[in-house]
Amino acid sequence: MNGFRPALAAALFAVPLAAMQTASTYQERDFLTRVRRLTIEGRRAGEGYWSPDGKRLVFQSEREPGNPFYQIYVLDLGTGDTKRISPGFGKTTCAFFRPNSDEIEFASTHADPKSKQLQQDELAFRASGKERRYAWDYDPEMDIYAYSEKTGAMKRLTTARGYDAEGSYSPDGQSIVFSSMRDAYNRPLDDKEKKKLAEDPSYFAEIYIMRADGSGQKRLTTVAGYDGGPFFTQDGKRIVWRRFDESGLIADVWTMNPDGSDQKQITDFGSMSWAPYMHPSGEYFLFASNKLGFENFEVFMVDAQGAKEPVRVTYSDGFDGLPVPSPDGKQLAWTSSRSGGSAGQLFLAEWNHEKALDALKNAPPKKPSRKS
Amino acid sequence: MKKFLSAISVSLAVALVVAGRPEGRPLQAAVGNALQGVPSKTRAHVQALASDRLEGRLAGSNGERLAGDYIVSQLQKIGAKALPGQRDFRLPFEFTAGTKDGGSSISVRLKPDTAGAQTSPPSVASGFARTFESDVRALSFSDNGDLDGTVVFAGYGIVVPESQDFGYDSYATLDVKDKIVVVLRYFPEDADQKTRSLLARYADLRYKAMAARQRGAKAMLVVTGPRSPNAGELVPMTFDTALAGSGLVAVSISGNVGAAIFRGADKTLEEAQKGLDSGNPHVAGFAIPDVNVHVRASVEREKKTGNNIVAYLPATEPIGTTSKPWVAIGAHYDHLGHGEAGNTLAGKDDAGKTHYGADDNASGSAAVLAVASTLAGQPRKRNVLVALWSGEELGLIGSNAFADKPPVPLNQLAAYLNFDMVGRMQDNKLSVQATGTSPAWGRILEQANIAAGFDLQLQADPYQPTDVATFNGASVPSLSFFTGTHADYHKPSDTADKIDYEDLDRVVDFAASIVRRIEDTADAPQFTKVDQQMQSGGGRAGVRIFTGTIPDYATDVKGLLLSGVIGGGPAEQAGLQKGDVIVEIAGQTIANIYDYTYALEVLKIGQPAKVIYTRDGKRRETTLTPAARK
Repeated sequence: MNGFRPALAAALFAVPLAAMQTASTYQERDFLTRVRRLTIEGRRAGEGYWSPDGKRLVFQSEREPGNPFYQIYVLDLGTGDTKRISPGFGKTTCAFFRPNSDEIEFASTHADPKSKQLQQDELAFRASGKERRYAWDYDPEMDIYAYSEKTGAMKRLTTARGYDAEGSYSPDGQSIVFSSMRDAYNRPLDDKEKKKLAEDPSYFAEIYIMRADGSGQKRLTTVAGYDGGPFFTQDGKRIVWRRFDESGLIADVWTMNPDGSDQKQITDFGSMSWAPYMHPSGEYFLFASNKLGFENFEVFMVDAQGAKEPVRVTYSDGFDGLPVPSPDGKQLAWTSSRSGGSAGQLFLAEWNHEKALDALKNAPPKKPSRKS
Repeated sequence: MKKFLSAISVSLAVALVVAGRPEGRPLQAAVGNALQGVPSKTRAHVQALASDRLEGRLAGSNGERLAGDYIVSQLQKIGAKALPGQRDFRLPFEFTAGTKDGGSSISVRLKPDTAGAQTSPPSVASGFARTFESDVRALSFSDNGDLDGTVVFAGYGIVVPESQDFGYDSYATLDVKDKIVVVLRYFPEDADQKTRSLLARYADLRYKAMAARQRGAKAMLVVTGPRSPNAGELVPMTFDTALAGSGLVAVSISGNVGAAIFRGADKTLEEAQKGLDSGNPHVAGFAIPDVNVHVRASVEREKKTGNNIVAYLPATEPIGTTSKPWVAIGAHYDHLGHGEAGNTLAGKDDAGKTHYGADDNASGSAAVLAVASTLAGQPRKRNVLVALWSGEELGLIGSNAFADKPPVPLNQLAAYLNFDMVGRMQDNKLSVQATGTSPAWGRILEQANIAAGFDLQLQADPYQPTDVATFNGASVPSLSFFTGTHADYHKPSDTADKIDYEDLDRVVDFAASIVRRIEDTADAPQFTKVDQQMQSGGGRAGVRIFTGTIPDYATDVKGLLLSGVIGGGPAEQAGLQKGDVIVEIAGQTIANIYDYTYALEVLKIGQPAKVIYTRDGKRRETTLTPAARK
């Protein structure tokens, strides 16, 4: 889910921007209408995921007074009311409603005794007027929790050293698929790996699965490079995620069975393609890619088999990503910086599924692999 | 049932009238509302205010009076009351409706030479005097006066505030106390771009007059230098609504008069200007002690009376200890009449016709009446002040008059919501301006917009050309709603049939829910001061360049989105058109309207400048040759 890789920005700036402009007869308004900004309060917000009934969104936002980091909020689309469900201190990310349950999972660092000090340090840094690029730091104290909306209690689901986050439930609510960097801590590293860990811990991220109570944790991927942002498909039969290559420069959308077998590459787009999510029709994936320039992430879609070239969905400067269709498939929530500044906010629009199918049908066949 | 049917036929009749026009939306809106059986909350108000009979509602005119009658009757209908201590909804204010020169004159006399004949031209030695009538014109903000004195040439008369960290003070080495100063119009012509852009901001004549007055000068004479555009010409009398002068006799003089004065100096005006034009801050002005000037300045100001219409809906629940027990909503209802105040954009064919001002601002006035009507039917925890301002088009005069002597102390206002041009929504975009005035707005707007579903365009800046600026100035947390400018802006073609009533009604519902949220908060929103960008000192008035672009102020597009170009102007000649986005001009990148204004200040008249713009997403390039603004 969180996939910004600022350390690589400089390297990628050398790549000619928009080198491969995709010609398309479609425009954003063909797919998205009544575009509107959902979140306003706070410095940035994003990663909105729908409740199974489509009436609420859970998202992360930097709006807690005194805490410069994300906390988790539930937004009621009927009343406009927003409620924080995370502890209020520490860092949090990547929430998801558990189907057939009152639980919401998210990752948090609040158990780390240093978490409040880190808040103070960050506030002091920001007050100093210095600027740095937005950076996700893969805090190794991040662990996954399940919050009960009925009781307000939080249950810890992971304990491993290393970043555990980017979790999401299966459609039956019985499993959680997530990303973990525990591989960097639970075995001896060689020198090359030690260097990698210092530079870029996400290199060690792999996909894991566990039961909804945290038991039965099992590793599904073993390929070097950042495997993250996993979600079940709408029928629960496959897992879709993004896989970075070893350099961390290129990512593509992959799918596999929930036991890790039959890993299959869907996109071969030669750019950073990530945050895939299947439309509830099962016909296609929505994802984000910086195909058109390092800083210009746009939402794209690709047919479920990856037989054709991806089709561009959004057309605006800055960041558009983390697309999540509503359970009825008629709306799209996503994160965008189109309202100005560099920080994203949550956006919502009506989604034209028929137009999307039409565009996918008319898309050219997938081009031969750029790697070969 | 009968009523419902007649509603359909009326709406369809309207729809048929507009069907021949290119705008499709009003048609859809009319039919849509009729079929749902929902009468528009705003249509009747807009049609009444933008009707022929009201003749464009110029402040102080009969049309303004008739518009006021309509508004008063509508407010009475919903049970609004006169403000505490007031008998009437009408709150009159006096203003200056126009200025003209009332016969200014100047005479220049060279003293008989006493210091040393050998340094002066022979003709000067015996003295020289001349009176000019047609070569002088009062500046519109001048005091009236009749005085004489000796002259000091103060260069461009520019003083850059110390806060800018750029030492430039035309008066640094001069003693001008009780002297008459001569200053050049504009700013140094040959300075580098950075210097020019800085100096231009302090080159407005009002600002120069202030600098001269603060240093004790008793009059300021402005001459358009021989090396400047419009060389030697008088400054036109601009429309100025101040009730009185600025505390200084200030006139512009022709090149002839300037030359006559410089006969007492040891260089010509052109030589003196040339020395200054590099922008070098160490080139100083000088006294011209042998010249005595007698100047008479006369400005005739036509006084008129305008009327704000202000009433309130009293709280229905005991106010008790509620902090700041008032919430205010407002819009200006005046417009341009027939364009006589000079702020019209009508083309030659339309000049002098009624400017209906349906969007500007019958739409906002209708929104205020409709929000008030909604709130009148609900319990209220705070008093709701309902204001329809006049004199906005002439410079926010009505709201300023109100704020100067407020019938309700302004620190009792929890918030002020302003509506100016809210009837032409495009692509679901609603601009909300002045959001920087309170940290409370983020949450309130976020909650209210969940139901409303607008694509909100937030602008923190409260220094907007509408009445919201008045309330920001009074430290009242404020918001202003705006649906963007368009090709009919300030033209007779801004008519009621082009209003999108369906979306205007959505704005009403949105704003009413915001007012309710403010009413419901025990603690009133806190006020935050937003720093004013780029407009200190002379500001935009320093611009003397004419490009013929009509910027779209509502957009957050990166660059300058054009909502149109002026026919025959430099932009049109350069091939620019509505919808183009200027991203670079003369090597300066343009991210927003401020950058553009800034860039304009450094362009040179008649000198082609490269313009890079995007059209349909493609980068293009053209050359624009700026003309002089008269």
